Amino acid sequence: MAIGAEALKAGGPGPPAGPLAISRARTSRRILLDRLSSRLVVVGGVIIIVSILAILVVIAGEVYPLFKKPTALFLGRHGVPGAIPVPGDAAGVEEYRELAYQVTADGMLRFVALKEDRTLAPVPVPGVDGAAVTAAAHNGKSSHVIGTSDGRVIPLELVFDVTFKDGRRTITPRAEFGQPFLLDGERRRPVRRLAFAAPPSGPLTVAQVGPTELVVRTIVERKALIGPGTKIESLQSLAVPVEGEITALRLDGRGEDLFVGTSRGQVVRYDMRDTANPTRADVTDVTGNHGAVTALGLLIGDRTLVVGDQAGGVSTWQVISPPRGGERRLTRVYRFEDHAGPVIAISPSRRDKGFTTADASGQIHLHYGTSGRTLLAMRAPDGAPLRAVVFAPKTDGLLALDERGVLSHWQVENPHPEVSLRTLFGKVWYEGYARPEYVWQSTGGTDDYEAKFSLTPLIYGTLKGTFYALLLAVPLALLAALYVSEFMHPTIKGYVKPVIEIMAALPSVVLGFLAGLWLAPMVERVVPGLFLIPLVVPACILAALLLWRGLPVSIRGRMRVGTEALLLVPVVGIGVWIALALGGLVEAQLLGGNYRGWLLSALGLTYDQRNSLVVGIAMGFTVIPIIFTIAEDSLANVPQHLRAGSLALGATRWQTALRIVLPTASPGIFSAIMIGFGRAVGETMIVLMATGNTPVMDWSIFNGFRALSANIAVELPEAPEGGTLFRVLFLAAFLLFCLTFLVNTVAEVVRLKLRRKYRYL
Amino acid sequence: MKRLWKSGEPFIWLTGGALALALLLVAGLVALILANGLGLFWPRDVVRMTLADGKVMTGQQVEREAVPGKPGQYRIKLRVANRDLYGADFQWVDEARIATREYPPDAVVVERTEWGLLIGTIQEVRDGGRTVAVGSARGLDELRRQLPEAARLREEIRRIEKGDIGAINFAQDRVRLALKRLEIKGVTRGPDVDALQSQMGALQARYREQEARLAGLRKRQTASVVVTADDGKEKDLPLVQVLNVYAPNTMGVFAKSGHYAAGVWEFVSDDPREANTEGGVFPAIFGTVMMVMIMSIMVTPLGVLAAFYLREYARQGTFVSAVRIAVNNLAGVPSIVFGVFGVGFFIYFVGGTIDRWFFAEALPTPTFGTGGILWASLTLALLTVPVVIVATEEGLAAIPSEMREASLALGATKLETTLRVVLPAVMPSILTGLILAMARAAGEVAPLMITGVVKLAPALPIDGFWPFVHLDRKFMHLGFHIYDVGFQSPNVDAARPMVFTTTLLLLLIVVLLNLFAIGLRNRLRRKYAMAAV
Repeated sequence: MAIGAEALKAGGPGPPAGPLAISRARTSRRILLDRLSSRLVVVGGVIIIVSILAILVVIAGEVYPLFKKPTALFLGRHGVPGAIPVPGDAAGVEEYRELAYQVTADGMLRFVALKEDRTLAPVPVPGVDGAAVTAAAHNGKSSHVIGTSDGRVIPLELVFDVTFKDGRRTITPRAEFGQPFLLDGERRRPVRRLAFAAPPSGPLTVAQVGPTELVVRTIVERKALIGPGTKIESLQSLAVPVEGEITALRLDGRGEDLFVGTSRGQVVRYDMRDTANPTRADVTDVTGNHGAVTALGLLIGDRTLVVGDQAGGVSTWQVISPPRGGERRLTRVYRFEDHAGPVIAISPSRRDKGFTTADASGQIHLHYGTSGRTLLAMRAPDGAPLRAVVFAPKTDGLLALDERGVLSHWQVENPHPEVSLRTLFGKVWYEGYARPEYVWQSTGGTDDYEAKFSLTPLIYGTLKGTFYALLLAVPLALLAALYVSEFMHPTIKGYVKPVIEIMAALPSVVLGFLAGLWLAPMVERVVPGLFLIPLVVPACILAALLLWRGLPVSIRGRMRVGTEALLLVPVVGIGVWIALALGGLVEAQLLGGNYRGWLLSALGLTYDQRNSLVVGIAMGFTVIPIIFTIAEDSLANVPQHLRAGSLALGATRWQTALRIVLPTASPGIFSAIMIGFGRAVGETMIVLMATGNTPVMDWSIFNGFRALSANIAVELPEAPEGGTLFRVLFLAAFLLFCLTFLVNTVAEVVRLKLRRKYRYL
Repeated sequence: MKRLWKSGEPFIWLTGGALALALLLVAGLVALILANGLGLFWPRDVVRMTLADGKVMTGQQVEREAVPGKPGQYRIKLRVANRDLYGADFQWVDEARIATREYPPDAVVVERTEWGLLIGTIQEVRDGGRTVAVGSARGLDELRRQLPEAARLREEIRRIEKGDIGAINFAQDRVRLALKRLEIKGVTRGPDVDALQSQMGALQARYREQEARLAGLRKRQTASVVVTADDGKEKDLPLVQVLNVYAPNTMGVFAKSGHYAAGVWEFVSDDPREANTEGGVFPAIFGTVMMVMIMSIMVTPLGVLAAFYLREYARQGTFVSAVRIAVNNLAGVPSIVFGVFGVGFFIYFVGGTIDRWFFAEALPTPTFGTGGILWASLTLALLTVPVVIVATEEGLAAIPSEMREASLALGATKLETTLRVVLPAVMPSILTGLILAMARAAGEVAPLMITGVVKLAPALPIDGFWPFVHLDRKFMHLGFHIYDVGFQSPNVDAARPMVFTTTLLLLLIVVLLNLFAIGLRNRLRRKYAMAAV
C-alpha cells in the first residue's frame, strides 16, 4: 500500500497506477478501529490528566478532617433509682464506655451498663456505718477517696478487668476498699470537700472540714533495701486565712501544689513539697468580680489549672515566672466561652489538653486548653441542674450527672481538637512558656506532652533558606545568562549549556551530602574570606581586563570575541583564593583572630556549623541552572532585528544588552526567578542534610532552620496514620503544593505572554 | 580609562566572571567527588611513626592539613584502624611531634568481617591450638594458602543461612498464613489443618537439620592468625573472619592496580557490612535499577498517551492550554509532596484496601499497606510523568504537519497515521523524555524516604521464592544509602570514603543518562530544524 521510501528517494516512477482493490469490509473495520482508538485515547488521556491533577484533592482530603467541627451525639439517659449524687468527682466511666459508676450519698457504689441500659447490683461501701457520703475525689486513675458525714475517709481502688472470649468483650468491675481513717479527730465534722493525689512517694489527702479549715493527711512510704518499707502517717490541720469560705479544692498529681478556691473569687496556692510544713505560695484573684470560685480542675500533666466561677466564667491558669522576672505566680492564660449559670464541674481529658465544664443550668461545654477554644456546647435533655461531668478516657464520650442521679450519655466525635488556624499559624501560649510563642515540637517523651503544631517556624525556615539560596543564585545565574546569550561565542555556547544542564541534574542528595559533610566544616574555617569574595573577585576581573588591554594587539587578536569567560576561569579561581587568604588576614588583624568570638561579641550572633550560608551555597547549585536556562532562553529569543537596530545606531554591545535586550526579556527573567524560587521552596534533601533542622526563628545567616519539606521527610515515617501529626504534615505538603503551583503558574503565564509578544515584534 | 568604562567592556567581563564562577563551581564539585571517590580502593602505604615522646603509631595517612591557628604547621590524619583495640579508627598527629617515619615491609592490612580494618604485623598462624607458621613472611604465605579454604567455608555458611534456612523460614511463613486463613474462615480442625501442621513439623525438622550442619561447619573453622599492633597489643583473629590480607608497602603499582580493580568489583557486587560502612552496595544498585525499571514501565504508556491526547486528539483551546500549563507546573511541585501523596493514596488507601481484601490473614502486619518498591516506583512515576508528557509533546509539535497530512491524504486513518507516521517520528522524543525521567528518578530521595526505602533490606525484591518478584518488599537505594551512611551512621569518619564512592557511582549514572538524553535531543533538533522549513 504505502509507497516505499526507497522508491521515493530514488525519484523514479512508482508502480503503474491502477484502481486499488480494497475490500469494503476491511475499510469499515479500519474506520471502526480508528474511531475506537480515538475514544480510547481521549478517555485514557482525560483519565490520566485528571488523576495527575487529583493529587491536590487527595492531599486536601487528608487535611480536611483537621478542620471538621466536633460533633456530639446524644445516646441516652440512664436513671439510677434511689441515687442521690455526691458533690465532687464521684462518678466515672471505663475506657470502652460500657460501664459507668457513681458513689451515692447513701453509701453505695452503683454501676450502670450503658449499652443495655440496666443497673448492676449496688456495692455497699464498707465502713460508712449509717453515715452519709458527703464528698469524693480521685486521682484521674483508679484511686478514689470517699468522705463521710462523720469525718472519715474511705480509700477505694476501682479497677475494670477486661476479658475477651469468643471475640466478645466482658468488663467486670473490681472494687477494693481500704481501711477507713478519721481525719477530724474526735470532732467528727463532716467532710465537705476532698482533694487527693497519689504520687510515688505516698498518697496525699486534703479534706475541708470547716468553712476555712483543711486537714492534710500524708503517708510517706520509704522503701528499705531489705525487709518491708516503712510508712509514716501524718495528720495536720491547716487554717486558710481567707475572707469568705473555701468553695473548691484541687491537688496536683505530683502532690506539690494545693489550689484552694474561695467564695470571694480567690485561689490560694499552697506549696506542699515539704509535706510536714505546707506554705502559702500566692493568692490570686481569678474571677475578677469577686464571684465565688465554684470548681477547680487540672489538665493532664497538672500544669494548667482550670477555674470555673459563680458567674459561669471558665479560664485556664498556669504557675509561671512573669516576663519581667520575679516570683513564679499563677497567671491567666485563656478565657473560654461563658456558661449561663455557675460552673459546678470540670473534667479533664486523660489523653490531651481538652476538658469539659458543666453548669447548674444544664449546659455542658467542651474546651481545648492549648488553643483556648470552646469547641462544642450542648444541653442536658431536660435542663436539670448538673452535679458532675465525666470526660470518657478515650475522649470519645461524655457523661453528665444531674441532681436526681440521672446520667446523660453523649458520643463525641473530636479527633483533632488541638488544631485550629490559630494553633497552626498564630502564637500560642503553651504550658511552661512565659508568653505566647510560635513553636513546632510535635512529639515529646511523656503521655501528657502538649503537642505544639505551629507551622509558622517551618514556613519561616523555608522562606529563609529560599532567600539565602536566591541571594546567591539570582545574580550569578542572571549575569551568566546575559553573558551566554549576548556576548558568548556560539561554538563555546554549545559546550557551556550542556554543562549547566548537567548541573541541574545533580541529585540533591549528593549536594546535601557534600554540603553537610564537606562544605560545612570547610566554610566554618573561611567565613571571613567568603564574605570578601564579592569584593575581591570583581576587582581581580577588572585587573585582568586592564592587564589584557595592556597586551600587544598581536596577542589580543588571537582571542576571538566571546571567549573572555574561558580566560576568566583561572582569574576567578585566583580571585577566590586571594579572597580566602585575605579573609584569614582580616580575621587575624581586625576580628581578633577568631571571627566566631567577634560575631558573638560585636553582633550577638552565634555560629552553627550547618547554617543558612552552607544551605544557600548548596541550594544555589540547584537553583542557578534553572534560573540560568529560562533566563537565557528568553534573552536569546529577543528578536535579532532589535539588536541589529540598536547596534546600527551606534550603541555598544553592553548598551544594547542593557537597554534593549534586558528590558524586552524582563518578564522572562521574572518568571525564571519565580521558578527558581519554587524549586528552592520545595528542596528537601539539601535542607535536611545541611541544616541543623532546629525550628528556630531568626534571620541570622549563621544559624540553621527547619523547613517544611525536611520536616515532612523527618516526621512522616513516624506519624501514625490518621493522627493529628499525620494530617498536619499533609497540610504542610498542601501548603508547599499550593505555593509552588501558584508561583509556577504565574511564571508560566508570564512566559507565554512574552512569547506572544516576541511574535509581534 | 573613562572610555573603557563607557564602552561597557568591564561589565561584559564581570558577567563573564559570573559564568566562569558557575563553571568553576561545577568543575570543583565534580573534581571533589572524583578525588575522594576514586581513592577508596587504592591500597595506601602503611607508615610507622615514632613520636618525640617515644610513642609508636602505625597506620595509613589519609589527610594532611594546616593546624588551625598555627600557620606553617601541619598535621596528619592517620588511619590507625584496629577499632576493637584502640577504640577509634583515626588519629590526628602533629607533624612537629614526629621523630621518624618508616615504611615497614612486614606491615599488613587485614580486611575482616567485623570491626573494620586491622593493621599490624603477623606474629603467627595457628590451627586448632597448634602453631603452623611463625613470623611475618611465612605467616603471610600460610595465610594466602589457607584463605581460599576459609572463604569457601564462609560462603558455605552464608549459603546455608541465607539460602536454605531462608527458604525454610519463607515456607514456614506461608504455612502460618495458610493456617491463619483457615482460622479466619472458622476452620480450626480437619484434614486441611492437620496437613498444614504436619508440613510445619517437617519444616521444623529440616530447620534443625540445617542448624546442625551449620554448627558442624562452624566447628571446622579452627585456624586463626595472631597480629600484633602498636603498644604490643595482640589480636587473635579467626581465619574465617579474614576477607583479605595484603602488605601494601611491598606491593608494586601493578599489584596495587589489581587490588584496586578487585576492590571496585567488590564494591559493586557485594552486600554491605558493618552498618553499611564497608563492603559493597550491590543491593542498593539493584534496588535503584529495579525501581527505575518499574517506574519506566508505568510512566511511558501513561505519559505518551496523555501527550498524544493533548497534542493530537484534543481540540486545542483554552482548556487544553490550561491543562498543559498545569501539567508543566506539576514538574515544579516539590518531590516531597509527591511522596506525601504516595503515602496517603498508594500506601494507606490502595495498599490498605489490598491488604483487607487479599492479605487479611497477615493483618495487623501490613503487606501492601506499608512502604514498598511498588509504591515508591508508582510515586516516582507520578513525579516524572510530566517530564515524559512535556518531552513527547515537544516532539509532536516539532513534527511537520505536512507529514500527517500526506499520510491522511493517502487514505490512512488517523490511527494508522498516528501509529505508522507520527509514533516512529516522535520515538526519539519519547526516549529523551524517558531517559530524563529515569535520571530524575535515580537521583530522587526525598519521596522515597517516606514510601519504602530502608537502610538495610533483609532481602532483594527479586529472589528464588515464588512468586519471585516481591513488589511489597522494602528496598535499598543509592541516594538514600548516601544519606543514611553519611548522616545516620555511628562512625561517619570511617564511612566517609564509602559515601564518596557511592556518590560517584550515583553521579555517574545520573550524568550519563542525562548526557545521553541531551545528545539525543540535540540530534533530533538538528533533524527537524531541516525538516520543518
